[in-house]
Amino acid sequence: MNSRIISIFLGSGLLLCLTIFLTSYANNVRLPGNHEGYEPVQPIAYSHRLHAGELNLPCLHCHTDAGRSRNAGIPAVETCMSCHTFVTAPIVDVRAEDKRAEKTGEKPSRIISPELKKLYDMAGLDDELRPDPAKEARPIAWVRVHRLPDFAYFNHGAHVSAGVECQTCHGAIETMERVRQVSDLSMGWCVNCHRDANAQGVNGRVVAAPTDCSGCHF
Amino acid sequence: MPFLNKGISTIMKRPETGHIDPAPAPQRGFDRRTFLKAAGFTFAGTVLTGCENGAVEKAIPFLVRPEEVTPGTPTWYASTCGGCSAGCGILVKNRDGRPIKIEGNPSHPISKGGLCATGQAMVLSLYDSHRLREPGISGKVAAWDAVDGLVAAKLAESRSAGKSVRILTGSGAGPTTRSAIDAVIAAFPGARQVVYEPLSVAALADAHELCYGRRFVPHYRFDRAFVIASFNADFLGTWISPVEFTADYRAGRSPEDPSRPMSYHVQFESRMSLTGSNADRRVVVRPDRMREMLGGLAHCVALETGSDAGPFPPPVADGEKEILVTLARQLAAAGAKGLVVCGVNDLSCQVFAASINAMLDNRGVTVDLDRPATSRTENDRETGALLAELDAGTVGVLVLDGVNPVYDHPAGEAFAAAMKKAGLTVAFAQHDDETSRHATIVLPKAHPLEEWDDAEPVAGVVSVRQPVIAPFGNSRSLAECLFAWTGERIGAREAIRRVWKSGIFPGQRAQTEFAGFWDTTVHQGFTTIDPTPSGHRVFDATALSRLPAPDAGEQPGFVLELYPTVALLDGRHAHNPWLQELPDPVTKVVWDNYAVLSPVTAARLGVGEGDEVRIVAGGAVLELPVVLQPGQHDEMVSVALGYGRKGTDRFTSIGPEWFESVATVEPGETVGRNAAPMLIIRGGHVSTWRFGVSVTPTGAVRTIAATQIHHSLHVPEHLAPKNAERRPIIQETSLAAYAQSPEAGRFETHEIVSMWPDEHNFTKHRWFMSIDLTACTGCSACVVGCQAENNIPVVGKDEVYRNREMTWLRIDRYYTEEKDGLSVAHQPMMCQHCAHAPCETVCPVLATVHSEEGLNQQVYNRCVGTRYCSNNCPYKVRRFNWFDYPRGDDMARLVLNPDVVVRERGIMEKCSLCVQRIQEGKIAAKEEGRPLRDGEIRTACEQSCPAQAIVFGDLNDPASRIAASRKNPRFYRVLEEIGVEPAVGYMTLVRNRPEEGGRNG
Amino acid sequence: MAERYSILRRPLIAGNKSFDEVTRDVCAPLESKSTSAWWMTFAAALAMLSVGAVAVGYQLKTGIGTWGLNNTVGWAFDITNFVFWIGIGHAGTLISAILFLFNQKWRTSVNRSAEAMTLFAVMCAGIFPIIHMGRPWLAFWVIPYPNMRGPLWVNFRSPLVWDVFAISTYFIVSLVFWYVGLIPDLATIRDRATSKIKRAITGFFSFGWDGSNKTWLRYETIYLLLAGLATPLVVSVHTIVSWDFATSVIPGWHTTILPPYFVAGAVFSGFAMVLTLMLIVRKVLHFEDYITLHHIGAMSKIIIATGGIVALAYATEFFVAIYSGNDYERFTFVNRALGPYAWAYWIMVGCNVGVPQFLWSKKVRSNVALVFAISLLINVGMWFERFVIITISLTRDYLPASWADYSPTSVEIATLVGSFGLFLTLFLLFARFLPMIAIGEVKGVLGYGKQTEGGQR
Repeated sequence: MNSRIISIFLGSGLLLCLTIFLTSYANNVRLPGNHEGYEPVQPIAYSHRLHAGELNLPCLHCHTDAGRSRNAGIPAVETCMSCHTFVTAPIVDVRAEDKRAEKTGEKPSRIISPELKKLYDMAGLDDELRPDPAKEARPIAWVRVHRLPDFAYFNHGAHVSAGVECQTCHGAIETMERVRQVSDLSMGWCVNCHRDANAQGVNGRVVAAPTDCSGCHF
Repeated sequence: MPFLNKGISTIMKRPETGHIDPAPAPQRGFDRRTFLKAAGFTFAGTVLTGCENGAVEKAIPFLVRPEEVTPGTPTWYASTCGGCSAGCGILVKNRDGRPIKIEGNPSHPISKGGLCATGQAMVLSLYDSHRLREPGISGKVAAWDAVDGLVAAKLAESRSAGKSVRILTGSGAGPTTRSAIDAVIAAFPGARQVVYEPLSVAALADAHELCYGRRFVPHYRFDRAFVIASFNADFLGTWISPVEFTADYRAGRSPEDPSRPMSYHVQFESRMSLTGSNADRRVVVRPDRMREMLGGLAHCVALETGSDAGPFPPPVADGEKEILVTLARQLAAAGAKGLVVCGVNDLSCQVFAASINAMLDNRGVTVDLDRPATSRTENDRETGALLAELDAGTVGVLVLDGVNPVYDHPAGEAFAAAMKKAGLTVAFAQHDDETSRHATIVLPKAHPLEEWDDAEPVAGVVSVRQPVIAPFGNSRSLAECLFAWTGERIGAREAIRRVWKSGIFPGQRAQTEFAGFWDTTVHQGFTTIDPTPSGHRVFDATALSRLPAPDAGEQPGFVLELYPTVALLDGRHAHNPWLQELPDPVTKVVWDNYAVLSPVTAARLGVGEGDEVRIVAGGAVLELPVVLQPGQHDEMVSVALGYGRKGTDRFTSIGPEWFESVATVEPGETVGRNAAPMLIIRGGHVSTWRFGVSVTPTGAVRTIAATQIHHSLHVPEHLAPKNAERRPIIQETSLAAYAQSPEAGRFETHEIVSMWPDEHNFTKHRWFMSIDLTACTGCSACVVGCQAENNIPVVGKDEVYRNREMTWLRIDRYYTEEKDGLSVAHQPMMCQHCAHAPCETVCPVLATVHSEEGLNQQVYNRCVGTRYCSNNCPYKVRRFNWFDYPRGDDMARLVLNPDVVVRERGIMEKCSLCVQRIQEGKIAAKEEGRPLRDGEIRTACEQSCPAQAIVFGDLNDPASRIAASRKNPRFYRVLEEIGVEPAVGYMTLVRNRPEEGGRNG
Repeated sequence: MAERYSILRRPLIAGNKSFDEVTRDVCAPLESKSTSAWWMTFAAALAMLSVGAVAVGYQLKTGIGTWGLNNTVGWAFDITNFVFWIGIGHAGTLISAILFLFNQKWRTSVNRSAEAMTLFAVMCAGIFPIIHMGRPWLAFWVIPYPNMRGPLWVNFRSPLVWDVFAISTYFIVSLVFWYVGLIPDLATIRDRATSKIKRAITGFFSFGWDGSNKTWLRYETIYLLLAGLATPLVVSVHTIVSWDFATSVIPGWHTTILPPYFVAGAVFSGFAMVLTLMLIVRKVLHFEDYITLHHIGAMSKIIIATGGIVALAYATEFFVAIYSGNDYERFTFVNRALGPYAWAYWIMVGCNVGVPQFLWSKKVRSNVALVFAISLLINVGMWFERFVIITISLTRDYLPASWADYSPTSVEIATLVGSFGLFLTLFLLFARFLPMIAIGEVKGVLGYGKQTEGGQR
């Protein structure tokens, strides 16, 4: 009699452990090709939170092609320089330097934050932001975060012009220090969104989102 | 209509610098970083195959972004084609800094929007890694200064030594090059330009010199002709300006056109040419009787028109007499709307032809003498003279520009020997070719997409050629060098601007500012001006009396005719695999040249397809496999020129390699054999005919790779079920029958009961295509257009031999024996996008399904490759990736279209009706918030077609061109009776014949 | 249950065997050392198998292009072999299920090996649909399963999907049927086993069979049920395979008579193969007493019958084609008989229609060598039947411009050889380790036609 109770107890316990283990495992299990949560370190610690969030720059200010091209486009170094010729470090550091200069009475020297230093190196500029013959200007090799397989064609222009928010796919980018992939970018995820869009429209606008295979695969 | 950029290409440079300097530092060589910089926003390791790789990808933006380039969207540049001397207008599609496609320029007055196979394939030769990169002096790489120094020295030396300077160029030099040459002539007295074309029409020019006192090639206007008599002129295939002629020819051959009658075309020829295959009436003539035929026709026309020109030899043989008399009557009736063209490079023939045209008084109507075709200025006599001069050692400096006489001149060997006797030979060449390897200085000739140049195909039509990518090699244009050697440093672009400012700009009235004029010209790619008046000369009838005596009548033995192919022309494109693998429009053979014999003759010799024969003409011997060609004269053997180029063994491993595969060409061998040594100079002109030739079987057998093994709509007699010998695939009729009823020629249709649920209701769009068989000449431009657009691999000879060609669009060619001759039909065949598609039901994994817009979609990444769909396709238009195809080297892969997936091994593919273009068009319309315009989306085949035979559009749009042609009574669909409901249809082939079958027009 | 046997019948099992003798005879090959003959044939089979393995490996690495297929002919050797083996796989279930229901006692001597043959043949068949795919590593896509694609299912309209279900069902049922039949005999082996391991294994697989009356009763019920379950499959599998072709639009494939035609052909070829194998087994393992001329005669008669149906099908096909008035259809059949592949067609007709007619004569039926030769020829003929239907129809379809010829590459031939290698290997292993004859069932018919006192008991 006893033994039976014990065995039942043990059995159920085992079962419980098993389920806990399996469910927790199931949550981290990931199908091949799903890079959801991918958050690589970038050559320059560019902060979307600062630029898109705090400073509230519109996405298309830098990603100029998103509205008209298949690629959203990563801004050229040139684009960064349009502001960072003037902004070379966080304002607090600059203030601090000014104070120090005031005290000592010498003219404040230019403060360059370490990350922007990298940018200037890329642009082939020296600390005084003058072209440095020693350095060769070269493009920045960012690590790509969002990647669709090559057999899936995606066009930013079509989506942006249809009124789809960048955040719909890229998540709350304006809150991210470092860009992270928030959606699994699976076919089911795309198709469901297209179906909903056709049913409800995008922000009240009627849209014709293709649900044909050849909408993306060709 | 693609967006044309304004102004010049700024791809590989900062916007501020003035022009592309001849050899900008970063573009020498082609390391990947340079490419990435060039290509702007690009993904390193951009995967070409459909499968994704796990590697971390870098995204590399521009450093400084050129303002015209929007990464991921194409930019279009207007330019001028350099594939041959015809100078067609082209639009070049640039994606992320690299040209990926060439299309015809719809607004160009000469080519009118179409572009031939050769022209479209030029984009691939741009990425040919075998092209010369650096200037070299006697085999060693040299700097330009060294070259300039040496040339200057030699020039001075030859001037002092009283030796002459000769510049041997191909035909079709533009105003700027001409002015540069003039500068040389001015600087070095006695210097002369010699124009040389292997496919010479020199006799045509000489004939007009004889008849009109001025040497020129007239500009023929087929669009205005009602009656066309062509003597051996393959004007739809290879003669002078095929794209223009095809467009014009088609313009005159619409049975619907109320404004004019459908033109009547008689072709006198001895082999089956592409043009002949389209003729309403084809007269097979032994080559050495061509002169008599022309004379006879002239005689009859003289009688008909009551002209006193002559005397012409009257026709002899009765059959011919009757033919010629009727033709003469028709020509005379057409009067100025009659047109006689002659492709024989023989003075008498050409004079006869010219005098017939004169008698018809078609000057300024179908034959334009006042705005001649300045694209052709070659002169065989001068070439001969040059050879003599060289031999005599009187030439100090010889400059060769893009010509290859050692390979393609009748006296090639002699030429090679004579070249050594010149003080200095400078050769501009794209490859280390037969001629350049005999030159002291070899200079890398830029690809037409890399250089600034201009052209004047027809007097008064001047077009500009602009670079769309900086040169891969360290090259300078001929003009630039010539100026440099006359002591003037000027960039090609500056030179052109200068010449145009003084020479072209004054000739036009549209613009008052040169800057504006220049910009619009470069923007649209051409300009038209009033040519300097040639002075109205009259036809000089005495020319006839000055003709050489005809050769003694018929000669025994075989006649050998050497002909250019539509793809390779004189062989200048032998390094282009697309063209090597383009099936010949008539024989459908690829990757080879061969001895063409008529079936009767082959039977007489006891040889069949593939048996090798030895052809002996004078000293020259050629051993080639036999190809049977109905419609060929029985005493004729014909062989294609342009094969046997040195270095074509680079294609040894062009195709997939496995243990039973056979190399396309053995190492050390060449693709085909060079037939040029069989050419002969007759009466001062290069003649493509040899008489008294012997043809004997060698007993050897060679493989012939053709894309078609059965050539008739008739099934073999011994297998034919009663009265079902002919398959109802091509609907054809005669103009007479069509006049009675536009439904003439219709196959009897029965009511089709469909068990299919009508699941497709095509609410948004319904894509549809129609192909007019009357317009289609079979020129095969669409085949290459499709290949370029859709990343279709080259598979090599062995795979084609195994019936595994990958081309999505093939052109089926059918012969029909009729009572007095052979009629030919060309039928472009690609996926028919059936609404009730047999392929869709059988695919186990839904890899091929129907779209809401009527497309039969093939989803590559879903396909597991059971091939069931292909088996179940009644049209057999599906293509399976039997292997992973090599696709050439890294450089050749730059031509791939980034908007189309490159398919991996083991999956099915097929025509998608250029769905990427449909998407592009729809997205563009969406972004601009407007409905799609008819004709805005054009498939690659449609836009490439010089004859505008293909119409694609949305059937749901009642105003569209496709809706109109769908209603046309000539519209029919192939195999409609099996109820697959194709979305591609055809238009009845109407031949201008009095009644069905009959030929005696 | 008390059975009544007619004394007018000749016994099914010759040599007046006792139960014990039967057991000894059948178990003999399992308990003796394997003969050198066995080793040699086994080596040969393995060699063939490895040839095939190399060929398939190379093909998977390089691409389908290593086969002689082309744009027009997408299926040839691959699917021909598939249909051929599926056909072979028919006799087994027919013998064990249908003949069982019809109470054909003579089946007991052959059903065991026939069923084994069925399993092995279906295994061989199953390989081809997979390796014929361009991307076999994605073969699992033909099975419907939940996925992240929206979701994207298989195409239930495609006969290939039906095949997947039909064949897997057929294989599983045949396997169970065969195994259930084996259980009593496994028990017998267990009881006779000398070595521990053997006893353990057979003991495990015989489910602790105790031979009690109750067990036998249950056994016979389940066997009857399975027979009933298997019977429709005999018809269904090849019907569905034939739909691969019948539902298409290709002249020569698109014909309604294919299902019965294929089933008859399958039984025909199946029995031919059973004969081929049994005649060898009979000779090598000295089962003359169990597989008597009577059995051979019975099977020969079935072959004549099914051969007759096949011949009729050939004729009907032609008639239908001519009568249909469909030009493409008519041409296809004329082309089969007179076209470039006429030789294949006439091999087919010769072997499948001509050769079997010899079996009408009792002389021939009782001449083992002749019957063996005939059975081999029929197998050849049936392979060519599939080749003719599948390949020749494809070479000449609608558009003359897309006509093409086909010839196999060495890789394809090696693959065919390999499939035979696999088949023989498996069969030899079976012959070595399992009883070739259903001991239990044979014992059941020992008394059949035996002279007993007064003819009753």
